[in-house]
Amino acid sequence: MTELGWTSVADLARLIGTKQVSPVEVVRACLDRITALDGTLRTFITVCAEPALQAAHAALARVLAGETLGPLDGVPIGLKDLFDTAGVRTTAGSRILADRVPGTDATVVTRLTGAGAIVLGKLNMHEFAYGPLGRNAHYGDTVNPWDAGRPRVPGGSSSGSGAAVAAGLVPAALGSDTGGSIRMPASLCGVTGLKPTYGRVSRAGVLPLAWTMDHVGPMARTAEDCALLLGAMAGYDPADASTSVLPVPDYARALSGSIAGVRVGVLRQGFLDASAADVAAGVEAAARMLQSLGAKTDDAAIEQMEHVPAAAFAIVASEALAYHAGWLKSRPADYQPDVRERLQAAAFVTGAQYVRAQQTRALIRDAVDEALRHRDLLLAPATPITAPALDETHADIRGERVSVTAAMIRLTRPFNLSGHPVCAVPCGFTAEGLPIGMQIIGRPFDEVTVLRVADAYQRATDWHRRRPPLAS
Amino acid sequence: MEKVTIETMRAMMRLAGFEWSDAELEALRPLVETNLRLLDRLEAASPRTIDPSTQYRLF
Repeated sequence: MTELGWTSVADLARLIGTKQVSPVEVVRACLDRITALDGTLRTFITVCAEPALQAAHAALARVLAGETLGPLDGVPIGLKDLFDTAGVRTTAGSRILADRVPGTDATVVTRLTGAGAIVLGKLNMHEFAYGPLGRNAHYGDTVNPWDAGRPRVPGGSSSGSGAAVAAGLVPAALGSDTGGSIRMPASLCGVTGLKPTYGRVSRAGVLPLAWTMDHVGPMARTAEDCALLLGAMAGYDPADASTSVLPVPDYARALSGSIAGVRVGVLRQGFLDASAADVAAGVEAAARMLQSLGAKTDDAAIEQMEHVPAAAFAIVASEALAYHAGWLKSRPADYQPDVRERLQAAAFVTGAQYVRAQQTRALIRDAVDEALRHRDLLLAPATPITAPALDETHADIRGERVSVTAAMIRLTRPFNLSGHPVCAVPCGFTAEGLPIGMQIIGRPFDEVTVLRVADAYQRATDWHRRRPPLAS
Repeated sequence: MEKVTIETMRAMMRLAGFEWSDAELEALRPLVETNLRLLDRLEAASPRTIDPSTQYRLF
């Protein structure tokens, strides 16, 4: 199969702009890979082959006419199936919305297609984004392309986005992240994923899980590609009152390769010491690599971590129930069992407990700010374990038996509560060949530094270039 | 924390407008008890006077 499936967004945009590659050729290459591999991987719910080819021909016409091209002109992308797309069904991975066809695009979809991107299709996900494993009873479980001999979960809830990028079916995708749903699949599938600062990217037209915790962001093979997509997506949107009017920097231009003097705090307590030994070793090695590139590292800690599970549970459960209550009454049997159970459990959270959780959240946000007071970034594992097998329900972490579901979100959701920007980056492999991911956490609205360090790390390493066994 | 009874769960469920069977409530009870234990700890963790956070650093 063609190498175009493995070409980065940045390279595709350059090759298309210089007439070395046709966008039609690129879209066809992706469609060929989907045809060949997606029967096994189940990353797509809807493939938009004909509209994508039409858009590719239009992009080719712009190239040949010498028109000014958008930064993503002719580049195919996938969308987690909770981004509204005009005329294309948007299911949120559910039976309940199986036939829902929006009349308009989500703001980020409008912005990305306005920059020239071509929507290749809608990607599989944990039903209604309410689960960290990426399981889906209605459209089939997405399979992680990194299998190490056993079918493994891709991580969720943006499971199709992570697996499709990892398998070279599409160069980039959009995900959403309420407790780690961009960073977990990025970590387990060996790709790069960015959760921007809360308010940096519009959520208008994105089906919600929990309004105050939902973030929208790009997933791709490189930090540079995430920077290109973020630049096209970010900025104030009158349709989303939570978006900031702060100007949007040129993220891609800020990737200088230099990180000399950047102050990085390594989160050991509650992060590295709560992770499997091989995961912690991968992140420690990455910290040493950053040091060798000129960063200054020290040990850091975040207070209030013990209250994260309760605060996150009360907020996500209450907000999710507020959205789902009608369907939970009228169509309970149409939810997959784990999602129905989470929604039912939310009925036993009181209003006062929800407010108390939001009060605790303020303390957690302040604690993250405090850890960043004298530092530019924090470094931590993205997930404490690598991809579990589909049938594994528990994992051993340093002798402690923990539920896979609970372990998976342990290290990511503090930053959904706090709203800080985080990039998940591949930083190694276990002995059995499974990817390890780390989080690079920055100050609010400082995605520039987060991406600059992630990019510099990727210039010095090749973890993000490795190809999974189920994708060749 | 006191043990959560099916009667308590039934009352809360009805207040919220749901109708689930006792078998469903029984299946949910361990999860609900775990969650309430966690939430109890927040009572001691957060000063009552702090402003609840819902949105962040809007400029």
